[in-house]
Amino acid sequence: MSAKSSIASSAFSRRGFLGFAAAAASAPLLAACGGGSASQGGGGGASGTVKFWDMPWATPAYNDAAKGIAEGFSGAGGSKATYQTIQWNNFYQTFSSAIASKTGPAVSTGGGFQAFQFEQQGQIAYADKAIEKLKASGQFNDFLPGVLDPFKSDKGYVAVPWQLDMRVFWYRKSLFEKANVALPTDWPSLLEAGKALKKVGAFGFTTGAGAGNNYANHSMIMMMVNNGGGVFNKDGELDLLNDRNVEAMEFVLELVSNGIVDPAAVSYTTDNMSAQWKDGKAGFGLFQVNVPERVGDTSGDLLVADPLTGPHGDKATIVFPNNIMMYTNTPSQDASEEFLVYYLGQLKQLWQKKLMSALPVFKSITQLPEFASDPNNVKIVKDWQPIAKTFASQGNSLNANLAALDGGQALNQFSQTIITGKSDAKTALQAFQSGLESVLKK
Amino acid sequence: MALTETQSGLSRARRGVAPGGPGTAPVKRRSKLSAQTSRTFFWLLLPSVVLLVLIHGYPLIHAAVQATHDGNLLQTGNFVGGENFSTVLTSPAFWKAAQFTLWFTIVGVFGSWLVGLGLALLLRTKIPAGGTFKVLLLLPWVVPIVVSSTAWNWLVATPDSLIPSLFRNLGLGTPLFLADPTLASITVMVFKVWVSFPFMMMMISAALASVDSTVYEAASMDGATRWQQFSQITLPLIARSTYISWILMTIFCVNDFPTIYLLTGGGPVSATTSLVVLAYRTVFQDFATGPGVAIAFLMTMTLVVISVILYRQIRKSSVE
Repeated sequence: MSAKSSIASSAFSRRGFLGFAAAAASAPLLAACGGGSASQGGGGGASGTVKFWDMPWATPAYNDAAKGIAEGFSGAGGSKATYQTIQWNNFYQTFSSAIASKTGPAVSTGGGFQAFQFEQQGQIAYADKAIEKLKASGQFNDFLPGVLDPFKSDKGYVAVPWQLDMRVFWYRKSLFEKANVALPTDWPSLLEAGKALKKVGAFGFTTGAGAGNNYANHSMIMMMVNNGGGVFNKDGELDLLNDRNVEAMEFVLELVSNGIVDPAAVSYTTDNMSAQWKDGKAGFGLFQVNVPERVGDTSGDLLVADPLTGPHGDKATIVFPNNIMMYTNTPSQDASEEFLVYYLGQLKQLWQKKLMSALPVFKSITQLPEFASDPNNVKIVKDWQPIAKTFASQGNSLNANLAALDGGQALNQFSQTIITGKSDAKTALQAFQSGLESVLKK
Repeated sequence: MALTETQSGLSRARRGVAPGGPGTAPVKRRSKLSAQTSRTFFWLLLPSVVLLVLIHGYPLIHAAVQATHDGNLLQTGNFVGGENFSTVLTSPAFWKAAQFTLWFTIVGVFGSWLVGLGLALLLRTKIPAGGTFKVLLLLPWVVPIVVSSTAWNWLVATPDSLIPSLFRNLGLGTPLFLADPTLASITVMVFKVWVSFPFMMMMISAALASVDSTVYEAASMDGATRWQQFSQITLPLIARSTYISWILMTIFCVNDFPTIYLLTGGGPVSATTSLVVLAYRTVFQDFATGPGVAIAFLMTMTLVVISVILYRQIRKSSVE
């Protein structure tokens, strides 16, 4: 059968085919142009549906619970909310392309510094009115001290914090007993404990810098701020080569050279690290909140350690104040604010159901029996939260530049260089400084 | 007789002689289409052309704009000309990544080709449970890369993983396959060969299937050795298929993001950072859209040049 006869015998006419093809060709255009759907719009009526995007902050059960909360919203003007989970992979691209095509969310959680990145591009709706509503309802006074301040810019509140992703030192009690060594309280005792743990086949500074694993990055910055240093000075300027940072990195290199850091840690994913904690290879190290739940250890043997005192008497750790932000693309700014206030008011459910791997930002949640019954949580709130600093180090305010630091190539390369012991501290810090200078906005 | 006619017809066709024997009028290579036919062709082609322009053209143009501006994913920013390209080309990280990409591609293309060729030749022979064997050989290509990279991570990542433990038990030390820069590079390349050889095997098997076995019988009767048969018959006869597979595998290797990113994330200390990983990290981790897209542009141009060179080899290797 010839091609011609094949076409001729087809029930699908040429005109029909052309019409179909034209429709197919125009579909991407229509999709691109039609971003402002009825439900989302570019600033429509007050009773629109608030599109809420949330990240997978914990297990899938978390997202199910958060969805339930979001969809339970019913605004005064009849507004509702929809819930969508956004995966971490390429999340910035996902948000950017959606915002560019006006199909993005009205309210979202996101990366720690995402609100500042989009604020720089004029896409963020300031939360001052929502803060006023929180003040009116009394919820404003429920915030833990200092958690709201980093979000205040010259133009207003860029976002509102909802959880604190804290980094604290954890230890396995039985390994310390086996090694017959006391818990470290400062850097010299950390070194001694590490040497003792090594003798029983465990590591005293557990970390990892493999694919998608930021814990080594966080460990490096934590050790700097624990020594009174940090990436930025009080004026927000890059200040990596200060003496405190050099001293901190020389100490980490000493840990590396003594085998206290696992030589394979540079390639460890977070799953590899969790396995180390579970298998009793990790004796001491920086990790997030809820490590026992994360690694599936119910023995009660994994405990939060005391904050270490640096050589100059400093005590500090790092924290990522994760936040909820509002966007200028909303069916109703009033509805967005109403939803934000509503959602913050319902957060306690997530901790009551023990779905969170982070600290709450509200005092009332820290007092919930479901939270306060865990001595690790109590210790973190009591001993670690007051000394926690953001990536802004010595400065107080967050900004878009911190996103380039957090998970950027420069920090990752620096961390890997240090934990493999491939360089001296000053050279590594110099390379880190140069790498950051090339990507930070002037 | 029929074969002679066919050959004669083919020969005439190649010379542009019409069927019907000598003396008949030569075929017009470019006959003028009727206006009606031209219009029909135009309208039939139009949707495809529109789709191609939308799908291929628009992103390329948009990328070209981004590569010459200092903006971000949301805003184009100011025109900076070739500044992003000069930034990239003067960066040691770019050249280190280019060097790794080169080695990754060479090992990926020729490693997978050699393994694929060997197995394709093996599969021509009658082996017990050959069908099952073929299916098993296809598994690395079939299994999603996320799954296979996770499996490889499980096999090599920690000192207690299976393969390092095996080395230790054999008294060969405890190699840190992903933590040592050199070993990590080798591991990623071996992983790439493992993932890719089934594709090569299928391409070569298809080419070998079209080779008439009588050619080998004739060569054997003429006293050709096994090696001579392989080098003088098999390789030339599968040359076109080989060049095509090399083009495709070169593109696959240069553009391969998941194999590297999932296994090592480009580390340790950027030892396994290829150009595509560098471009990704530049755009999405450093948020430097212009330089990141400039890297992608340079990769595209390089691939076009390589593809053109190999495509010319295909034309040269035409075997009649």
